[in-house]
Amino acid sequence: MAVLLNVENLRTYFQTDRGLVKAVDGVSFYINEKEIIGLVGESGCGKSVSMLSVMQLISVPPGQIVSGSAIFDGQDLLQYKSKGEEMSSIRGAKIAMIFQEPMTSLNPVLTIGRQTTEMLELHLNMDSQTAKERAVELLNSVGIPEAESRLDSYPHQFSGGMRQRVMIAIALSCNPKILIADEPTTAVDVTTQAQLLELMQEIVNQYNTSLIIVTHNLGVVARYAQRIYVMYAGRIVESGLCEDIFLNPLHPYTIGLLKCVPQLGETKGDRELVPISGLPPNLINMPNNCAFLPRCSYHTEKCRLEPWPELHSTGEQHYVSCYVDTQETL
Amino acid sequence: MQNNVANTVEPAAWSEIAPAQSEFRRVIRVFFGRKLAVVGFVLIAFLIITAIFAPWIAPYPPNDIDMNQTLAKPSAEHWLGTDNLGRDVLSRIIYGARTSLIIAFGATAMSVILGEVLGLIAAYFGGIVFQIIMRFIDALMAVPMLLIALIMASLLGGGVKNVILALGVGMVSVHARMMCAQALSVKQNDYILSARAMGMGDLRMMFQEIVPNAFPALVVVATVGLGAVILAEAGLSFLGVGVMPPYPAWGGMISDGYKYILSNPALALSPGVAIMLVVFGFNMMGDGLRDALDPRLRGIV
Repeated sequence: MAVLLNVENLRTYFQTDRGLVKAVDGVSFYINEKEIIGLVGESGCGKSVSMLSVMQLISVPPGQIVSGSAIFDGQDLLQYKSKGEEMSSIRGAKIAMIFQEPMTSLNPVLTIGRQTTEMLELHLNMDSQTAKERAVELLNSVGIPEAESRLDSYPHQFSGGMRQRVMIAIALSCNPKILIADEPTTAVDVTTQAQLLELMQEIVNQYNTSLIIVTHNLGVVARYAQRIYVMYAGRIVESGLCEDIFLNPLHPYTIGLLKCVPQLGETKGDRELVPISGLPPNLINMPNNCAFLPRCSYHTEKCRLEPWPELHSTGEQHYVSCYVDTQETL
Repeated sequence: MQNNVANTVEPAAWSEIAPAQSEFRRVIRVFFGRKLAVVGFVLIAFLIITAIFAPWIAPYPPNDIDMNQTLAKPSAEHWLGTDNLGRDVLSRIIYGARTSLIIAFGATAMSVILGEVLGLIAAYFGGIVFQIIMRFIDALMAVPMLLIALIMASLLGGGVKNVILALGVGMVSVHARMMCAQALSVKQNDYILSARAMGMGDLRMMFQEIVPNAFPALVVVATVGLGAVILAEAGLSFLGVGVMPPYPAWGGMISDGYKYILSNPALALSPGVAIMLVVFGFNMMGDGLRDALDPRLRGIV
């Protein structure tokens, strides 16, 4: 399977009054055709910023992509100017992104129809009649009933789940190769969550689009993603196939995450839910050693003295960035 | 490719979508639902009709001098009396509506176009562009609008064209600042990031995404501005640098008439009342339009 996007060593720093924030500090990931990958981590770990960096949507002062490459279609996206022609033609058309808040992601003063056809007219140069027909097709395909008459509705007439569906329809309108969903289900209720995720799964299958789901919810990726990357404090700490990560977590952070989430079938008293102690680190003036050290229950002296470990392989596609063999310690 | 997904995807529940209705009808309904807005609309409609049909409505030509009938009191022949040159006051008020309207719309159009574009560019591009434009606007704002208009009108001479120019420039800073503030605030929204993530370019972004969101504020400021321009024009005419005689202008009429306020109050008061009603009308219309057009106020009004 061909690699669609290969990001290597991405570093995005933000210059703030209080110091340099290393929001993304050496992140590498890749995605194949027709694949769903999950990028998991808590708030502030840098997952959204990594995606925004690839799309060159970071505000350049104060942010800056310091190093790294993002090879897509044979070209390094990070070499393009963020306001340039090339980047604009890739955004939406080849790589599309949807955001967390459906309530504010749609322009309140334009009709749904207008916002959908806008993309079509922009990237595919369709005339307005064809664009309208295509828009109706798209809205139907994401499950919006009576799409034809809905073209003239405004976003405020739709519920959150519906708006997110519209966002998905807009994102897919030009058949992008990759769809990046940044916390797509965080702002909606669980039923709608399930519907949206099923929809996205169908889209991957039908339209041959690859999907990157960025979330802090392990449950969301467990069912749908083939591979998972776990991020902490701006770096990837573990990556691997979905089953490996869930059945055989190696990094203390991943282990901690799984320990504090209840599993289906457990009853009260089966297992205590253990939260991860401590707080996420301040990304300004990070120490050289492992960032997870203050919260880690497996740490050794080596962890204190050595710099943050590099990702190393422990088996088929399973990489972890840790000095301790957590399997043994168990 | 199209329907396969729909078959497996559960369609959204009916209750999730509010019924659609024609946007235009809704705007009309909301606008006319407010009594004051209707009053304002009626006043302005009246003004416009008067201005257009002046030659047919006015009982006398406005500049007809009749030295036998100077300073006549209101009578059946002259409903509002005559001024110091025997000209019928009512006719001059009616023709004055034309002058006021032309100047009001002309100056407002000019300041809207200039000001909004400047404000939009400043807010959108930020950085040094923002600094240069807004400092220039600050400098313009430091001088009272009437003073700017006065200076320009004095330099250029009076006359309708120059008054429009002078008042247009005087109002630019209001629109520029308003648009800048609106655009800055709209820029923060998610849908702008979404639009950029979809590959939208600068020009499209400015006019398709930002301006429509700033539109309600724009409408209100512009409509109120119309009233302000009429007042300013009255001031200029009063001071003698506005519309040149013998053309009828309400401000000029007040200027000519206030000397006689004790003997012939109609001379000065009737143009004053006309100005008052027109400014009131524009203000009320502006309010009504804002309530009707702002999508975010829907359902609340």
